[in-house]
Amino acid sequence: MIDEKMRAATRQGDISLEALSLQHEVEQFYYREALLLDRHEFNDWFDLLDEDIRYFMPIRTNRTRREQKKLEYTKDNEFAHFDDDLTMMRGRQRKLMSDVGWSENPASRTRHIVGNVLIEEELSASELSVVSSFIVYRNRLERQVDIFAGERLDVLRRAENELGFKIAKRTIHIDQSTILSNNLSLFF
Amino acid sequence: MTAGKTKTRLNIGADPREFQKRPSWTNEDILGLLDEEDGTLDPRIYTDEDLYRLEQERVFGRAWILLGHETHVPKPGDFLTTYMGEDPVILVRQKDKSLRVFLNQCPHRGMRICRTDGGNAKSFTCSYHGWAYDLGGNLINVPYESEAFCSDFNKSEWGPTHARVETYKGLVFANWDKNAPTLLEYLSDATYYMDHMLDRTPAGTEVIGGMQKWIIPCNWKFAAEQFCSDMYHAGTVSHLSGIEAGLPEGMELSDAKIPTVGYQFRAKWGGHGTGFYVGEPGMLLAIMGPKVTEYLTDSEAASRAEQHLGSAERARQLMVQHMTVFPTCSFLPGINTVRTWQPRGPHETEIWAFTVVDADAPEEVKEEYRRQTLRTFSAGGVFEQDDGENWVEIQSVLRGHQARKRRFNIQMGKGRSGVGNKDFPGSIGYVYNEEAARGLYRQWIRMMTEPSWETLGP
Repeated sequence: MIDEKMRAATRQGDISLEALSLQHEVEQFYYREALLLDRHEFNDWFDLLDEDIRYFMPIRTNRTRREQKKLEYTKDNEFAHFDDDLTMMRGRQRKLMSDVGWSENPASRTRHIVGNVLIEEELSASELSVVSSFIVYRNRLERQVDIFAGERLDVLRRAENELGFKIAKRTIHIDQSTILSNNLSLFF
Repeated sequence: MTAGKTKTRLNIGADPREFQKRPSWTNEDILGLLDEEDGTLDPRIYTDEDLYRLEQERVFGRAWILLGHETHVPKPGDFLTTYMGEDPVILVRQKDKSLRVFLNQCPHRGMRICRTDGGNAKSFTCSYHGWAYDLGGNLINVPYESEAFCSDFNKSEWGPTHARVETYKGLVFANWDKNAPTLLEYLSDATYYMDHMLDRTPAGTEVIGGMQKWIIPCNWKFAAEQFCSDMYHAGTVSHLSGIEAGLPEGMELSDAKIPTVGYQFRAKWGGHGTGFYVGEPGMLLAIMGPKVTEYLTDSEAASRAEQHLGSAERARQLMVQHMTVFPTCSFLPGINTVRTWQPRGPHETEIWAFTVVDADAPEEVKEEYRRQTLRTFSAGGVFEQDDGENWVEIQSVLRGHQARKRRFNIQMGKGRSGVGNKDFPGSIGYVYNEEAARGLYRQWIRMMTEPSWETLGP
């Protein structure tokens, strides 16, 4: 499904100034968003989540090629690593900022590297569907190191804020089946 | 639901002769690791490589291990790959609806037979040389059998090792040891407390699809013990921020009522344990939200559960129950997260977690269970994140010689539990307690030192 859309986007070979400027704008949004997380400006990051946000990270599994399409990702009614609405995310924010939130107090050091940014589709005048890749490095306490890689499928919505967009939907496909860390106390 | 007619190869879980051979840990040494009277515990049980190796044989080779839920594999050919200790196994639903469990290892050259997490299969073919097995774990095809193998080669002798498999109200357990007691005998008087999750309705439970897996660099016993016996950490400081995350907006942590009334149970045999608050729903509300809390305490389903379980206390009043079935099956009745702590060496554990719901619960309640358990008890869970933090740091500190030399304090509630509570059968004490932990370690020590089920059995 994504493949088809992406092929279409590439075929268009759209290099109009408008397209370049939009691409630039979206990339700048991601870089600034990453900086908010990595500089622990979490309240500003949570403000980027729109009212109807779905922050979703399904579980990935190992399947035969025959069953992969059907079964690789857990479905909407199945278990997931994250499947949060704004209320749940606000709860996570309270935990993160709490003096007794031990998994992030002392705080992790993270670096979010976002790349391969592809504007997949303009869903409406105010909404874009965007695919990007990430590497997140986390270093924590004396010597814990975690590296996560994956893909983000976002719906970005035009907003009257400093960064120009809010996140209306984020689906994270993490490139691990067993999460190789003692927790996911960070955000992607 | 045990294996049927085909010839199976069951082990004796641990060879009694082996108990005499090992010089590094004599029975006397192992017996000294726990002193129930003093209430002290030797932390080397969490770190020692030799103990870990013995444990794989003597505990994981003989105990009933949780593999999953019956509804993980509803249809013939449905399978799930999982582990019993460090041994990989395949759980398969048979055509006659029974369950089989066999070692995920091709007896030819030792290759893993199945390399996926699950699915539906007609047979399993080893990707090394093509030996093929049917759903029952019988070797059915060997490439070039007549040309390449001797005339006395007999396929029926070369299937993978089988385990016993039995279920308790939906949960599937397996055991390598043909001499071990039945699952029901093994669960002992703990079933009464398991039923708070598994038997609220005649419809039983079903699983929410998906098995979440993550690793915690710590010994499996920290996790098993905490779910067995440690409400103390939840009611004091570990999970304050988790509670904060679940409070309605505007409500402060200081407004949240942490319960103080409750009980802990130590199984009369087997190392199983559980604890729960009674009455005060504040913490349950912070974990599961109003919808699930109402479902459990004040709904038509709650009334039916009261009738089915036989008392209002059991059906509506128990809050935030924690429980471990020795050694590695843990769950939280009411919250309904279930997990196996998979040992990965003395210093690492893999968590395999899933959620169950009453099979006849309304769809919106099932959905709320899914959302709230993944919000709270999962790798990213606002409660579980902080458990990992504690256990990893303990394990790390235990690298130190001095740190390992000092015995831990496991005295809480010592001598204060007993039979006779009017509402709750078995040995019962106050909710903040380490009686069930002492029971868990006692069972571990017994399995590590007693070669025969004649003395060890219930």
